[in-house]
Amino acid sequence: MKKRKDKLWFVLFTFPLLFIFTTVVIMPFIFGIAYSFVKWDGIPANPKVFVGLDNFIQLFKDERFLSSAWHTVKFTVMAVISVNVLGLAFSLFVTTKLRVRNVARTLFFMPNLIGGLILGYIWQFIFTDVFGYLGQSTGLDGIFFNWLLDPQYALYAIVIVFTWQVAGYTMIIYIAGLQGIPDELVEAAKVDGANVWHRLTKITLPLLMPAFTICLFLTLSGAFKIYDVNLSMTRGGPNNATEMFAMNIYNEIFAYGNYGLGQAKAVIFFLVVAAFTLTQVVMTKKREVQY
Amino acid sequence: MRKGKKGKHVLSLLTVMALIATLIGCGSSESSSSSSSTDSAGQEKLKKITIFQSKVEITEKLENVVKKYTEETGNEAEVWGAAGDNYGTQLQMKLTSNQGPSIFSIGTGTEAEKFKSYFYDMSNEEYVKNIAPNMALEINGKIVGVPYGVEGYGLVYSKEMVDPSEVKDLDSFSKTLEKFKAEGINGLALSQEGYFLIGHIINTPFALQPDYQDYIEKLNNGEVKMSETKEFQEFAKFMDAIKSYVKNPLEIKYDTQMGDFATGKTAMVHQGNWSYSMLKDYGDFGSKIGLMPFPLAGNDKLTVGVASNWVINGTADADEIKAANAFLDWLFNSETGKSTIVNDFQFIPAMTNIEAGDLDPLSEAVYEATKSGKTLPTANNYFPAGIIMNDLAPAAQEYFLSKDMTGEQFLQKLDEVWAKASK
Repeated sequence: MKKRKDKLWFVLFTFPLLFIFTTVVIMPFIFGIAYSFVKWDGIPANPKVFVGLDNFIQLFKDERFLSSAWHTVKFTVMAVISVNVLGLAFSLFVTTKLRVRNVARTLFFMPNLIGGLILGYIWQFIFTDVFGYLGQSTGLDGIFFNWLLDPQYALYAIVIVFTWQVAGYTMIIYIAGLQGIPDELVEAAKVDGANVWHRLTKITLPLLMPAFTICLFLTLSGAFKIYDVNLSMTRGGPNNATEMFAMNIYNEIFAYGNYGLGQAKAVIFFLVVAAFTLTQVVMTKKREVQY
Repeated sequence: MRKGKKGKHVLSLLTVMALIATLIGCGSSESSSSSSSTDSAGQEKLKKITIFQSKVEITEKLENVVKKYTEETGNEAEVWGAAGDNYGTQLQMKLTSNQGPSIFSIGTGTEAEKFKSYFYDMSNEEYVKNIAPNMALEINGKIVGVPYGVEGYGLVYSKEMVDPSEVKDLDSFSKTLEKFKAEGINGLALSQEGYFLIGHIINTPFALQPDYQDYIEKLNNGEVKMSETKEFQEFAKFMDAIKSYVKNPLEIKYDTQMGDFATGKTAMVHQGNWSYSMLKDYGDFGSKIGLMPFPLAGNDKLTVGVASNWVINGTADADEIKAANAFLDWLFNSETGKSTIVNDFQFIPAMTNIEAGDLDPLSEAVYEATKSGKTLPTANNYFPAGIIMNDLAPAAQEYFLSKDMTGEQFLQKLDEVWAKASK
């Protein structure tokens, strides 16, 4: 009797979530896979033709897709490093006994509260107009020029904005991790004569591994899936040099009207993101230590 | 004891059911929210309609006219913000998710062809009877769209700075730009938006072909190449002149383009009569500006075409279609509606029952050209769908960004992307 009652409660609490998850995640996912075997322009009145694996073969011949994949990988590597280094630095800074630490926490976290689109437009203004103005008035036009018109620098610009947006969020997670480290351990190390560097590398960082696992996972998947900042800053330009995975898929489906091919790309995209993030989680999980 | 337990079971079961009910309730109310909110007053009020259209310039005025419509007739309409460059994709998303607007705008040619399954057949409606000859949007012999009006483009110039007789061919064009560069003035401004960067300006070499539809067809089939066509070779030289003498168009947005022109920092812009609404904010330009042809291969004609077309969403329910028809009828037949089209939208009417209003200097030039027949067609309506934004614009970006790319290489690049896009 008791067991049955537990089950009922279990159902009661999981059902809503399960229902939502099924309708907005699982079902579109399955439909998406199904559409990837079809040639269709996305307009319901027009015919859907089954083409088997053609879409998957075609996408590997699509130079624009492959180069967009390469941009995404470059972006992700740069973004994950800069976000986490900065997030960790921020968290170490705001857990010291400085007077400004509470204000600093708020300020570091604030960019995260602004939506990616608005943020992108603000920075677009900075990179095009403010930089142009600075270059003219200071004469340093080697650094201050319109970054968004240079294929390389446009990508760096997106990395900077993404970092600015997400570093504060990872900071919060790192703070939680830092506060979870017992004071006794740190004090014991101090008594044993460990200096600041040793305490950081031998005690703090190993014990922070769980936070690393989470932060790396979040930034890795977030950077792979970036769309809003990309859209508002460069729209994939100049000459498609900053077109990331997600934007390429969107363009394939809505601009070119190749719904099936776009879905096939999305399936590949999913596999890539899953492979990268799973590998990362397994790797960092292994390095987590117990005290 | 037992009874109590049973009661609890019933209670939890009820809770689950209530939860499901709310969930389902949520779902259904969400899907219908876009089309609901009808007559609560109980009068003979038509269903509320929604309007989505691509012309950024008239958004505000459209909102005003919709207010007047509500005042005069009591029926409600809502304008969804304009999307500019992204219009086509946004429209597609809205239509395919069955949350389409009741009335939307569509360009003649490939764009209309793409969305044709959504059009309501207007052939028997009152307002289509006054459309000027050959101006209606027809698909398979049925009238499906009413033209916004006629619009045209070319080189908008400041009369104080430019003498049109000095911009007659490649030579004089280059010299003029060179002269302005020496004076520190931007001779000609294009802007970064796909259509203003390449879409409009490339129309001229196409329209100058003896049979442009046939030429585009051949281009799609790979039978001709732009780099081997005389008009395009000259076009490339024009682009080279632009590239070497004027400010990089990618640094310029539509509003800065028009702002710099209005304040005398730019002598000419490649724009159309629609851009006057942007200039108006800077004061009265009465007779200070003019519109002249882009002098490619000695061309002396303005490009003129139907701006866009109003169509009704045929997949909407009957009440909504009825309301949409009522709105278009009001817009094209009532005094308020007609005056809005010519005076507020500043459209050059394509209807026989609407007289051209007090036209601004740019529209006046287009109107004159239309009457005298000195016009080029808008060939870019027949380009493969979306090619300007998807393929031509990135190619033009590459051209304007890379220092050593010549006009000839630009043409080859255009041929290359065209071949890919028309597959």
